[in-house]
Amino acid sequence: MSQVSILGNREQGQDVRSANIMAVQSLSNIVKSSLGPQGLDKMLVDDIGDVTITNDGATILKQLEVQHPAAKVLVELSQIQDREVGDGTTSVVILAAELLKRANELVKNKIHPTSIMSGYRLALRESVKFIQQQLSLSTEQIGTEALINAAKTSMSSKLLGAESDFYADIVVNAMQRVKQVNSLGEVKCPIKAVHILKTHGKSSKESTLVDGYAIEAGRSAQGMPTVVEDAKIACIDFNLNKFRLQMGVQVLVQDPENLEKIRQREMDVTRERVNKIIDAGANVILCSKGIDDFALKYFVERSCIAIRRVKKADLRRIANCTGAKIVVSLADFEGDEKFEPSFLGLATKVYEKRVGDWDYTFIEGMKETRAQTIILRGANDYFLDEIERSIHDSLCVIKRVLESNLLVAGGGAVEVALSIYLDDFARTLGSREQLAIAEFSEALLVIPKTLALNAAKDATDLIAKMRVFHNAAQKADDEQKKELKHSGLDLINGKIRNNLKAGVLEPAMSKIKSLKFATEAAITILRIDDMIRLAPKEEEAPRRV
Amino acid sequence: MSNRAPVYILNQSAKREQGKNAQAANIKAARAVSDIVRTTLGPKSMLKMLLDPMGGIVLTNDGNAILREIDVAHPAAKSMIELARAQDEEVGDGTTSVIILAGEILTAVEGFLEREIHPTVIVSAYFKALEEIVRLTETLGEPIDVKNDADLFKIVSSCIGTKFSSKWGSLIVDLAVKAVKTVYKKDGEHVEIDVKRYAKVEKIPGGLLEDCVVLDGVMFNKDVTHPGMRRIIKNPRVVLLDCPLEYKKGESMTNMEFTKEEDFKKALAMEEDEVRKCCEDILRVKPDVVITEKGVSDIAQHYLLKFGNCSVIRRARKTDNNRIARVTGATIVNRPEELQESDVGTKCGLFEVRKIGDDYFSFMVECEDPTACSIILRGASKDVLNEIERNLHDALGVARNVMLNPKLIPGGGAVEMELSCRLLEFAQNIEGAQQWPFKALASALEVIPRTLAQNCGADVVRVLTELRAKHAVAGEGLHFGIDGNSGKIADMRESNVWDPLAVKQQTFKTAIESACMLLRIDDIVSGIKKQRKEAAGTRFANDEEDTFGDQRDG
Repeated sequence: MSQVSILGNREQGQDVRSANIMAVQSLSNIVKSSLGPQGLDKMLVDDIGDVTITNDGATILKQLEVQHPAAKVLVELSQIQDREVGDGTTSVVILAAELLKRANELVKNKIHPTSIMSGYRLALRESVKFIQQQLSLSTEQIGTEALINAAKTSMSSKLLGAESDFYADIVVNAMQRVKQVNSLGEVKCPIKAVHILKTHGKSSKESTLVDGYAIEAGRSAQGMPTVVEDAKIACIDFNLNKFRLQMGVQVLVQDPENLEKIRQREMDVTRERVNKIIDAGANVILCSKGIDDFALKYFVERSCIAIRRVKKADLRRIANCTGAKIVVSLADFEGDEKFEPSFLGLATKVYEKRVGDWDYTFIEGMKETRAQTIILRGANDYFLDEIERSIHDSLCVIKRVLESNLLVAGGGAVEVALSIYLDDFARTLGSREQLAIAEFSEALLVIPKTLALNAAKDATDLIAKMRVFHNAAQKADDEQKKELKHSGLDLINGKIRNNLKAGVLEPAMSKIKSLKFATEAAITILRIDDMIRLAPKEEEAPRRV
Repeated sequence: MSNRAPVYILNQSAKREQGKNAQAANIKAARAVSDIVRTTLGPKSMLKMLLDPMGGIVLTNDGNAILREIDVAHPAAKSMIELARAQDEEVGDGTTSVIILAGEILTAVEGFLEREIHPTVIVSAYFKALEEIVRLTETLGEPIDVKNDADLFKIVSSCIGTKFSSKWGSLIVDLAVKAVKTVYKKDGEHVEIDVKRYAKVEKIPGGLLEDCVVLDGVMFNKDVTHPGMRRIIKNPRVVLLDCPLEYKKGESMTNMEFTKEEDFKKALAMEEDEVRKCCEDILRVKPDVVITEKGVSDIAQHYLLKFGNCSVIRRARKTDNNRIARVTGATIVNRPEELQESDVGTKCGLFEVRKIGDDYFSFMVECEDPTACSIILRGASKDVLNEIERNLHDALGVARNVMLNPKLIPGGGAVEMELSCRLLEFAQNIEGAQQWPFKALASALEVIPRTLAQNCGADVVRVLTELRAKHAVAGEGLHFGIDGNSGKIADMRESNVWDPLAVKQQTFKTAIESACMLLRIDDIVSGIKKQRKEAAGTRFANDEEDTFGDQRDG
């Protein structure tokens, strides 16, 4: 048999499928133990020796140097979940791996992958519908506690779990203060409006929420005031150094006296600029570039706060929040230079404060929108990094809740309910998809199982009980029994309880998206039946230098 | 599938430790770190001599300084070392105790992990205990009056008691208290004590240790630029500049093309004129001392000396200049032509250049109520000086914390023992598996009095039992701790051993929180390479690079 030769390795059919699925499986095993309130953290050390301690699935997978191509798909999956939803990065990986494992079994039983894929798609569609119609509740139905509880649920698996009451408050307050309703009536909660600053020292309980924006920079000269009330903020994106002509511009001087004039003029140009800015009424100047020492003096004399080398991202946000305009150049169309008072942003107070060993500048009471700053304190930098990640996740969760307003009960409740529903649904289909949907329904149980396992509880027993409850809920007619659809795991006591009442809540959005992502990823990998790894190209003859 | 090559998911060079192994390894590493510094706790502590790779020697018993020099490989150990740093930056003292405590707290857990108690249960018990500790210490704290020098003195001296420099008695304490009082600045509600910026420690090898002083002004390592200038001036008028007093070319590219000989001469004369004009501007305000951060040309020196009889100091550091501005009341000026009478500093009583050892030092002392100061340390060798500086740094930290939060709690292990007893009582009311780790934490606190007793060679078991008995009833034996010199039980009120509340609280918080973090780890993956920058999922890619627009005039 003649063969087309390929440079490199080629794997085909069942071999490649099994290999892929094994890779995915082992990746999911790595993150498995970090799921749920009883999950533990991972310590990751890179070749330089930098340490990351984390519980966040996306961060773990990003740090691991995953080589297998199929496993890489899963890593991307968790990144997408992180970007789109922010939370649930671990569960999405576990779910995808489980779906694949079961699909592989079906393929071995001679069911064509395409039927499995279409079965999975069907199951996904039904699940999404079921969550939206049956399981989700709007925040109004649950009450104000809902937000706090959702934040707590997302934190429970993290290092801050023990202090979730404290942090949930911070996170919810922060998000509610930055909430906006745009012209279309949509609620928007920009995560970026919440700024997180980390300073080691003190204890994590001393983290605070500041109503305003803080930047990690002190004022540029010690002679400046530390507090400015009724601040008018100028955001500047050009150098306040001595003026210099562009490279390549030469000045030919006929009379030596003029040389001196050029020198004077260089300084005067900057001085005029500074004066124009101050004369426009500015008393806080934020500059993303340098400010020369001699220019600082003018600010000191007029008792303004000037801060140099403010980060671009910070400057942009401050400009947005205070209504300031970032000024790139003072030039106007007439060829003159001027600084309009309308460029200034307004805030009620700007002040500098020492936190730990560093000076921070706080901007409070901004005109346009309210920005929030969370100052995190804690034992050391690794600790702070992990808290920051957890806070970010929780912020995302709150954002979802505020924007979509739909919640579901957590602790495996949704998964089990879906599983029961899909089981019944599968039986109504006469096609091959039936088998795939049944497997899909089984696969969903991996989440509550892992939760129970991580808490060292009897998973089989608990899952069986939960299925009974949910089955009863779905079959029942009376209201009381229907409430059982919120039954989930109580991992501390190893019992089943109503997680809605216990306050274990997750945004419905996050659940739906993670189901979607996991299914899509599983399908992507399932479609592969041939893998060609090209051999690296041979080095060409050494190039001439 | 059995006959195929294994599937590699991770880089093969990556090492993994999982589950129990990882936990055990972390605990071991933490204990190893705490064993290093164990002997440096208390008044009978020993110094460590560390040789760095460059061959330099560090002699110290400061926990942070020791750990900073040690190169550890284990990630958990690294995290411990970070603790010492955090403690040092936040409060400045208690670096040794925090490490010892964290090590002990982790060790206490070992048994539970073997007995299959879930780490998250332990962690939540620990957090609960921390809350209780903070609450208890708050009630135990005794307020003092910071205006009262004697009180302040007492407390700083108990902190310094464990250090190398305690052999010189109250010397370092005096320095620290005085320095902190100097830089204390109250601005409405806002109290500022910026030791880092305004209390500068200058080390000059040679001389006697007794010569250490806090100046009522500042000192810096510079001499006047010209031998003819005055070296002692009473009540000088001081001008501070941060511009060069020499001819400097402009920023823009300028070329000179001369066509006539006169032009060249003119250009040279211009340069001279420029400097002279500068000097005239300065002399207008009749200064006695001119200090600049930049250079001073010979010709400028000449003018200033000849026409104004000024003493000039060049290339002063920015930080020095800031301090001088604070003690003299002068404003730092950049353009001489903008000098005003109000910019001149007159609050300094004496300007003097002294020769100490081989170097010249300028002093600006006898200032009217100075808000900055220099602390001069003298001593036999550099190593000794370095150690004294570290001690002083601790003392400054303590003094600062007491001024900011004037509450004290008894030292010498008294607080730890008291907390331990109270927590044990509290533990009785806790339900479930959390009770055990809670109790274990309470016992772990005893490590501080135990180590104190060990280090002074006391009969550890007997002393500790006795101490525990004293603390048995709440509130009664609160002040009993271990006298670190004799190893006996003593009333800390009598032997005057106190710790600032802020330092102690910080110690507990840092130690417990970091222990919790290490406990939650069940998997260590090491040897992974840094991801390439443009990895697919970077959250804030290219956030910094973009600009707002074109920057043509930058």
